[in-house]
Amino acid sequence: MALAIETIGLTKRYGSLVAVNKLNLQVEKNTIHGFLGPNGAGKTTTIKVLVGLLRPDGGTVRVLGREVYGDVPESRLKVGYMPELPRFPKHLKGWELLDLYGRMYGMTEQQRREQIPKLLEMVGLKGREKDFIGKYSKGMQQRLGIAQALLNDPELVILDEPSLGLDPVGMVEVRELVKNIAKEGRTVFLSSHLLFEVEQVCTHITIIHKGVALASDTLQNIYSRISGAATLVVELAKPIDSVADVLRKLPFVSGVEQGGRMLVIELKTHDDVRPQISQEITRAGGVIVSMSFKGRTLEEVFMQLITEFGGQK
Amino acid sequence: MKTKWQSDWKTRFWAVVKYELLWNIRKKKFIGVMALALALATLSLALPVLVRNIAGEYLPQNPDYVISTGVGVGGLGMFLFAVAVAMNSISGEFESGSIVPLLTKPVSRTIIFIGKLLAAFITLLAAYASLLLYMAVGGWIIYGPQNNLHLLPLSLLGTLISTFVWIAMVIFIGTLSKSSLLAALGAFGIYMALNISASIISVFTSQAWILNYLPGSGAVGFIKENGTSMSVSTGTDNIASNIIKCVLYPSVEVAYLKFSFAPGNPFTELFREPLWFVLLRSLLVAFAYIIGLLAIAWHSFRHGQVLE
Repeated sequence: MALAIETIGLTKRYGSLVAVNKLNLQVEKNTIHGFLGPNGAGKTTTIKVLVGLLRPDGGTVRVLGREVYGDVPESRLKVGYMPELPRFPKHLKGWELLDLYGRMYGMTEQQRREQIPKLLEMVGLKGREKDFIGKYSKGMQQRLGIAQALLNDPELVILDEPSLGLDPVGMVEVRELVKNIAKEGRTVFLSSHLLFEVEQVCTHITIIHKGVALASDTLQNIYSRISGAATLVVELAKPIDSVADVLRKLPFVSGVEQGGRMLVIELKTHDDVRPQISQEITRAGGVIVSMSFKGRTLEEVFMQLITEFGGQK
Repeated sequence: MKTKWQSDWKTRFWAVVKYELLWNIRKKKFIGVMALALALATLSLALPVLVRNIAGEYLPQNPDYVISTGVGVGGLGMFLFAVAVAMNSISGEFESGSIVPLLTKPVSRTIIFIGKLLAAFITLLAAYASLLLYMAVGGWIIYGPQNNLHLLPLSLLGTLISTFVWIAMVIFIGTLSKSSLLAALGAFGIYMALNISASIISVFTSQAWILNYLPGSGAVGFIKENGTSMSVSTGTDNIASNIIKCVLYPSVEVAYLKFSFAPGNPFTELFREPLWFVLLRSLLVAFAYIIGLLAIAWHSFRHGQVLE
C-alpha cells in the first residue's frame, strides 16, 4: 500500500494542552481522504505539522515518503496546501500572486503561462485576476487558495476546511472541484467538520477527536464497523407472506420482519443489493411501492464514536 | 503525466525578492515617506532662492552646496525610511496570515529572510539614489556647477549602511514580537532615547565614548580645517557625512569637548582621535549591530512556528 501521508505516534502540545496525541495516520495514494473532527479536535494542528508550519513534540511524519522535520523545502515541492481561511498579501493582484508562487515552485515562464489561466478559470476567478487581492471577498480568496494549492501540479493536495466561509453554491462547487482534482490521479487530504461534505466527497476517512484518532478506514468500512448491518425498508402494494420467506434465504440477508405491507430487511452487507432484492420480491409475486435504505448517517457514526470516546475517558 | 518542475534556488530567491519589492513600493507608508522626503528636499532647495528673491538679492554660486549640505538623508529620515520599509516585512506577514502560504512553498526560510532583506536594500537604494540625484541636479541648477560630485556614490553607500542599522533593529523587534506596531514603536523608543541621551551625555559628561558603541547619532566632536570649525557626529547615523569629510580632509583630528558651568572657559577638551578612526569604528559598530540583530532575527524566523 503506497502511502501519501504517514504519521506514527504524532504528538503536538501547546503548553499543557495536548492538541494531537500519538496520532497514527495513514493516507493511501490516489484517494480522497477526509480528516473529520469537531472544532478543536486537532485537525489543523496535524495539517500544520504535515506542511512544516509546526514542529512535532513526538512521533514521526512522512509526506510522500519523505520525513518532515524542520525547514526542508524539497518536501513541499509536490505538495499543494490550502490553509483554513487562506490570507494572501493584499498588495498583489491575483495573477501576480500565482505567478510569484509559481516561480517559488521553480516553474518556467512557459509553465506558468499555461497553468495560471487554466487554474483561474477552474476556480472561477477569470476576469478578476488583475484586481488586487485586497479587493477580493472571502470566497474569492478561498478560490485563490485552491488555485495556488494546485499550481505546482501536486501529487498530494492538502485542503484545510476548503468550504469554510463559502456560500452554499460555492460549497457545492468546491466539492465538485475536489472530486475533479482526485480524478487527475492526485491524493487529496481534506479536513472538515462538515460531515455531509466528507460523506459526499471522500473515499476514506479518519475521525479525530481531542487529538486522538477514533477511526480510520474506508467510508464503507467505517459504516460497517460502527453501525453494524444496514437495513432496507420495502413497502409492498399488498402484503404477501411468501416474500419474507424468499428473502430470508438470500445469503446477504440476516433477517426479515414483516408488518402488513412493510418489510424491514436486515442486511449483512453494505453493498447496494436493491436490484437483487427487487428481483426476488417480484419473482415471489410482490409489487414494490417504495424501497429505501435505513442506514446510519456519518453524523450518527461520528456521534457514537465521540460518545464512546467520552465514555472511555 | 505530471510535469517535473525546475528546482533552481535562484528562481525561487528572485521570486521572494520580487514578492517583497512589490509590497515595499506599494506600501502607503513608503510612498508617504518618499513624498515627504521629496517635499523637504524641494523646500531646502527652493527656500533660499525665495528668501533672496524677496530680499531682492542674488543667490551666490556655491560649488560645495551639494557635497556639504545635500549628502544623504538625516537621522530621522533614515529612521522613517527604515520603519516604512521593514516594519511589516516579517511581522506583517504573521499578522495578516499571509506567512502561511508563503512558508509552505518550497523555499527555505533562510532564502525568504535574505530575499526580504535584499528587497529592502534595493528599495532604499532606489529611493536614496533618486533623492540624491534630485538634490544634485537641483543644487547644480540653483548654485551652479558643483565640486566633488564623484563622492556621492560613497555618500549613498554610507546612508544605506546607516539605515540598515535601523532596518536590522525594526526587523529584530518585529520578528521576535510578530507585531508591526511593536516593531515601529520599539525602534522609535530606542531612536528617541538614544538621541536625547546622546546630546546630554555628549556635552555634559566625560563618558561620551559610550555613544560610539551605540546606534544613532553618537558623540559630538569638532574638527578644524582651513580655520573653519565643523561639528562631527561619530555615530552610525553619520557614516555618509564622515566618509565625505574623511575623503576631503584625510588627516584631520576630531576633538571631544566637555561643557561645564564653571567660570572661565566652559569647554574642556577630553581627547582627540583621527577622523578616519572615527569612521572605521562607526562602520564596525554599524556592521556589528546589523549582523548581530539580523542573526538573532533570522534564527527566530527560521525556528519559529506558525501557531495562529
